[in-house]
Amino acid sequence: MLEIKNLHVKLEDEDKVILKGLSLKVPKGEVHAIMGPNGSGKSTLAYVLAGRDGYEVTEGDILWNGESILEMEPDERAAKGVFLAFQYPMEIPGVAGLTFLRTAVNAVRKKRGQAELTTPGFMKFVKEQAAKLNIDVEMLKRPVNVGFSGGEKKRSEILQMAMLEPTLCVLDETDSGLDIDALKVVSDGVNALRSPDRATLVITHYQRLLNHIVPDKVHVLADGRIQKTGGKELALELEKSGYAEFTGKAA
Amino acid sequence: MNVAIPKTKAEQALTEAFAAAAPKLPGSAAVTAARAKAIGEFGAIGLPHRRIEEWKYTDLRVQLKDIGATAVDDATAVSADDLRAALGALANVDAHRIVFVNGSHRSQLSALDGAKGLDVQPLAAALKSVPEKIADGLMRATGPKSDATVALNTAFVSDGAIVRVADGAELTKPLMVVFLSAGTTSRLTSVRNIISAGEGSTATIIEVHASLKSAATGGQVNALSEVTAGKGAALTHVKIAASPNGAVHLANWNVTLGADAMYKGFQYTSGQSLVRNQTHAVYAGEGGKFDLSGAYLARGTEHIDTTLVVDHAVPHCESRELFKGVLDDRGRGVFQGKIIVQPDAQKTDGKQMAQALMLSPDAEFDSKPELEIYADDVVCGHGTTTAELDADLLFYCKSRGIPESEARTLLIESFIGEALDKIEHEELRAALSSYANDWLGGR
Repeated sequence: MLEIKNLHVKLEDEDKVILKGLSLKVPKGEVHAIMGPNGSGKSTLAYVLAGRDGYEVTEGDILWNGESILEMEPDERAAKGVFLAFQYPMEIPGVAGLTFLRTAVNAVRKKRGQAELTTPGFMKFVKEQAAKLNIDVEMLKRPVNVGFSGGEKKRSEILQMAMLEPTLCVLDETDSGLDIDALKVVSDGVNALRSPDRATLVITHYQRLLNHIVPDKVHVLADGRIQKTGGKELALELEKSGYAEFTGKAA
Repeated sequence: MNVAIPKTKAEQALTEAFAAAAPKLPGSAAVTAARAKAIGEFGAIGLPHRRIEEWKYTDLRVQLKDIGATAVDDATAVSADDLRAALGALANVDAHRIVFVNGSHRSQLSALDGAKGLDVQPLAAALKSVPEKIADGLMRATGPKSDATVALNTAFVSDGAIVRVADGAELTKPLMVVFLSAGTTSRLTSVRNIISAGEGSTATIIEVHASLKSAATGGQVNALSEVTAGKGAALTHVKIAASPNGAVHLANWNVTLGADAMYKGFQYTSGQSLVRNQTHAVYAGEGGKFDLSGAYLARGTEHIDTTLVVDHAVPHCESRELFKGVLDDRGRGVFQGKIIVQPDAQKTDGKQMAQALMLSPDAEFDSKPELEIYADDVVCGHGTTTAELDADLLFYCKSRGIPESEARTLLIESFIGEALDKIEHEELRAALSSYANDWLGGR
C-alpha cells in the first residue's frame, strides 16, 4: 500500500510551498485518480514520489509497503517497484532504445535479486511487450524517444513500465498530447497491468482518461491538499462543475 | 630593440638532441640538408607560446618539459602478442597493417600481403634510396608556415608510411598504420606519413598511436601526415591516439583535396597528457568535400587541443566539422576552427560544431570558431556548446532504476556517440566505443 502522510513540500531554491499537508492511501490492487486544476501540485506529487531533486519535504512521510522512501535515490525507489510515467518523456540522443531498456531492466532485476536477462531472453520479452502496445521493435533501435511523436513517446513510457514490472505506477498527465486512438492504446496498456499486486495513481487534469482507465477512487487536489475524495462519478461531476469550488475554498 | 628570449629547458634539449641524433637519422644528403634547415628554423622561432595567436591556449614553452630520448634505429623487442594487447579492441578490425615501434619499421609485425591497388613503403628506406629530388619532396610539408611542430618533425623524422592507393582502386580492407611506443625509456619519436589516394579510388587509412603496457610513461610523439585525395577519390582517415602512458602528442594533418574528392577524417584521443592536433585542408579543385570529426576524453591535467584551418580557395566545396570533448577533473579542451572562404570560393558550404561536456567544475574548454569570408554567396555556420550532464536526463535514467554512475556513463556515451557515429566502418566504430567505455570505466 502507498501511504502519503501529511506531506509538506516546498521548492528547494525558493520559498514556494506546493504541498501543504497531503494525505492519501492507495491499497494494492486499486487505481486511484488525482484530479486538480493547474498549479495545484499534481506534478510535484509525481516527482516527489519518484525522488526528483529540487524539492524539499519539510513535514510528513511517504510509505511504500510500510517503508519510508523519502531518503531513497530514484533508482532505489525503482528497484522497490516505483515507476513514474512522465508527462514529457525525455529524449536521449545517442542511446538506442533497446540498450536503454535492457540497462534499466537488468539494473532493477539485479537489485531485486533476480537473474539478469540474457540477450535472447531480453529480446523475447521486449518483443512480447512491444507488440501489446503496437510498438515496432525497429523503432527501439533508434535513440530513446528521439524524433518520436507525442503518442509514440507515451507508448514508449508504458512499454518501459511494463518491462520494469513496477508495483506502484504513477502516471503523470499521461493523456496530454494524445489523440483518441493513442489514448486508447495507452489506456489498454495501463489496464493490462492492473493486478492485485499493483497500486496505480493516475494524475490528470481531465476526466476523459478516466473513461478508459476507470479508477476505484478519485481525489481532488487543490492548493496542495486533498480537498475531496469520492468514487469514479466524482470525475464526471468535476467535468461539469470544474474546479472553481475548490480553488475558491483555497483562496 | 632586440631582446634575446632565453631558451627553455625543452628548447635547449631539442637542439642538443638533434645534434646528437643527426648522424644516425636516415636519408641522403638532400634529406640531411632539409633536416639541418628545419632545426635552424626551429632554433629561430623556438617553441610556440601564448603570445602567438594560434597557440594562445596551448603554450608549449610552458607545457613542454621533458622531451625524452630521440628514437632512432630502435630495436626494442615487441612480439605479435604485445602488439595485439596494445591494440586492444582495435585488434578486432580486419585490416592490412604496417607497424612501427618507437619510430622504426618492423616488417615482421606488419601484414601487407595481397592488397591490390595498395602500395605501402616505409619512409626511412625511401629517404635513403630514392633520388635526391624525390627525397627532398618527401621532406616538404604543405601545412602551416613557420610552425615549430612541423619544423621539429622535418628535423627528427625517423620513419613512417608512404601509402599509395592506385587510381580507381577500391580497397576492401582498411590499412592500419600502427605506431607503438615500447621500452622503459621515454622517447621523442617523430614520424611522417605520405598518403595519396589516386583518382577515383576508395580507401580507409587508420593511424594508430598506442603503447605497450610496460612502456615508460611520458615521452613525445610528433606525427605528421601529408594527405592527397585525388580527383573523385573517397578517402577515410581515422587517427586514434590512445596510448595509456600519458604521452605528449603533437600532430599535423595537411590535406589536399582534388576536384570532387571526398575526405572524411576522424580523430579519437584519450590518455594523452598534452595534445595538439593541427589540420590544414585546401581544395585543389571544385566539388571537394571535407569532413573532419573527433572525440576526445581528458582527465587529470590532460590538455587536448584541436586546431584546424580549412581554406576554401575554389567554388562549390563543402566542409563539415564536429568535435566532442569530455573533460573531467582539471582536463582542458581547446578547439580552434578557422574556415577561410576566398573571394572566388562562391557556393561554399561550411558548417562547424564543437561541444564539450564538463564532468568537473575545474575542467576548462576554450573554443574559438573563426569564419573569414570574402565571398558573398556562401552558406557557413558554426556553433559551440559547453554543458554539464543534464540533470533532468540523469533523473529520467535513475527513475528507470539505472544507478547514478551507470546513468552518467550512459549519458557520456550518448554524448560521444554522436561523434563516433560519423565513422562508417562498423568494427572500427565498435572498437572506438570500447576504447571510450574503457576510459569511462577508469573514472
